[in-house]
Amino acid sequence: MQTKTHISARDLTVSYGEQQALNHISIDIPDKKITAIIGPSGCGKTTLLKSFNRLLDLQDGVRVAGQVLVDGENIYDPGVEKTHLRKRMGLLSQRPTVLPMSIYDNVVYGLRIHGVKDKKILDQAVERYLQEANLWSEVKDRLHSSATRLSIGQQQRLCLARGLAVEPEIILGDEPTSALDPVSAEQIEQRFLVLKNQYTIVLVTHILRQAKRLADYVIFLYLGNLIEHGPAEQVLNNPRYAKTQAYIEGKFIEEPTIHKEITLQKERSADYLTSTLLALDELQVDQVLKVVVDSEPTMNEISKAVELKCHKILEVKRIDLLHWEIIIQKQNVNFII
Amino acid sequence: MNIRQFKETIAHRLMFLLCLFVLSLVFLMVFGLYQRAKPILAVSSMKDLVFSANWHPTQGHFGLAGFIAGTLWVTAIAIVIAVPLSLLTATYLSEYCSRWVREIIKPVIDLLAGISPVVYGVWGMIAVVPLVRDYLMPFLSERLPFFPFASENYTGFSALTAGIVLAIMISPLIISIIEEVMRAVSFGVREASVSLGATKWQTTKWVVLRKASPGIVAAVILGLSRAMGETMAVLMVAGCAMQGFPKSIFDTAYPLPALIANTYGEMMSVPLYDAAVLLAALILFLITVFFNIVAWGILLYIERKEA
Ligand SMILES: Nc1ncnc2c1ncn2[C@@H]1O[C@H](COP(=O)(O)OP(=O)(O)OP(=O)(O)O)[C@@H](O)[C@H]1O
Ligand SMILES: [Mg+2]
Repeated sequence: MQTKTHISARDLTVSYGEQQALNHISIDIPDKKITAIIGPSGCGKTTLLKSFNRLLDLQDGVRVAGQVLVDGENIYDPGVEKTHLRKRMGLLSQRPTVLPMSIYDNVVYGLRIHGVKDKKILDQAVERYLQEANLWSEVKDRLHSSATRLSIGQQQRLCLARGLAVEPEIILGDEPTSALDPVSAEQIEQRFLVLKNQYTIVLVTHILRQAKRLADYVIFLYLGNLIEHGPAEQVLNNPRYAKTQAYIEGKFIEEPTIHKEITLQKERSADYLTSTLLALDELQVDQVLKVVVDSEPTMNEISKAVELKCHKILEVKRIDLLHWEIIIQKQNVNFII
Repeated sequence: MNIRQFKETIAHRLMFLLCLFVLSLVFLMVFGLYQRAKPILAVSSMKDLVFSANWHPTQGHFGLAGFIAGTLWVTAIAIVIAVPLSLLTATYLSEYCSRWVREIIKPVIDLLAGISPVVYGVWGMIAVVPLVRDYLMPFLSERLPFFPFASENYTGFSALTAGIVLAIMISPLIISIIEEVMRAVSFGVREASVSLGATKWQTTKWVVLRKASPGIVAAVILGLSRAMGETMAVLMVAGCAMQGFPKSIFDTAYPLPALIANTYGEMMSVPLYDAAVLLAALILFLITVFFNIVAWGILLYIERKEA
């Protein structure tokens, strides 16, 4: 892609106590585009989103390893000012959470904590951002009543207004339309399409059609692993790997049965290509080979070579700092090396 | 009607009756106290008894105002000390400290809440009385010779001493409740605030404390009721000499519970003494009820504003 990268994760691993929620995720999120994170429930979408503004720090027992770079700066460096970082990202949480105060105070909360006191500025902000979030007409007569009395869908839009009011560079939306009817959801989607001219937007969504409508770029996670990522048309219409395909077609995601496993370490490049192809030769058609290698270039080369021979790569996964695994399904081709 | 339904009905009725019984105890108590206080109300008016500080039982003067003022004075001092102390401690425990620190401190605080008042009284006599006598009183009363610091009482047994002891005594209870209420505030609203760039302190101040405010009010009122009714510890350190209205935090104070405990059953030869002391008990009861009703009102107000 020729666009600039805004956020990038480098080898990001997150665990809640014993439970690993994200395994060695490396990814680039383009600037001023909409990136959709998709994947089944519990695969780590929310966790990935929260790792971008260091919201995971609030919880006890969460360990984060690796880096997240925002504009090239690692936000997990010890010297980073977290409050400033968070202000740069508006997060819409999965469950809309209004603060225990009036609608007006909710919208200007971010401004107030960053020291804005001028009543005129606050008033303007309230009107402007509520309008941006499509809520103004519904609440303009009761700005000073408690926000908890709003309907859930209204609360979701209020959270959007509140997030926009701190003027972030990035919007992180965790299923931002989950509580809305199709019409309101559509309105919010339209907003996002406008907003992406100014903001980098990362959305978690369960709705594939929404991802298709909005996303420029798609990330597919499964059980904490990054399975596939790339431009939206490619991932959604023509996915490379089996699990992505299954998910997009709404099928049950199965772990392939491995029929043979080889580990290639520190071998010369000619050797590991041959070893892989030899191993494939021994298998029947449709059987599956797992190859574990110890560097990214090796992984890329093997993938390329295997695809050239028309075998099918089901999955490529980083298993730890050094190791990658490639899952290859033998196809019905009769080349002889 | 089958057995199960029968049991259900019986249990229902029984619980209702027990509830009624407990409720009626309150009324019985008020009624009993009123009956026994009647003789003195026949002699002097309620107004005189409550608003006059003229307490000379042998001459037939039973003005309780000094004691009422003493109760309010000591309680006020205790609350002024205890509330900030408890609020900050609870905030620290709930928001700032790590889990293991909390797991050590919390049981200790709960333990403190269970210690007998006599122990606090003794501790007050050997630690707080000298502190007030030798440092606080000479220092403050000389430098700030006006209300509420100026005083002639150099003994160290004073309203402030009692207030400090009471504050230490009720703080564990208040801390414990506030901490629990604060921790019950959902994680989501904290996240919402923090993700807008708020610091922990801003989040605590604007969101957590706000959400916890009904619980905090309840905790303070509970502490206040406890302080108001506390007898033993106060009796030991407040000085308990009748000097009319307390004019300084360093003056002695003689709160109602101390009066009742000190004299009831002892000076019965003085006519009407018995009735006067029971009237004092009734007044104490009514003051406590009053504060609870006020607390209730505040809670309702907050809840209505919130929801
Ligand atoms: N606070 C936590 N403590 C322990 N485990 C957690 C915690 N939060 C999340 N997890 C676990 O981490 C994994 C990823 O959770 P996450 O919330 O990121 O999933 P998700 O993809 O957002 O799912 P959903 O679509 O249902 O929201 C899950 O297995 C979950 O059980
Ligand atoms: Mg989620």
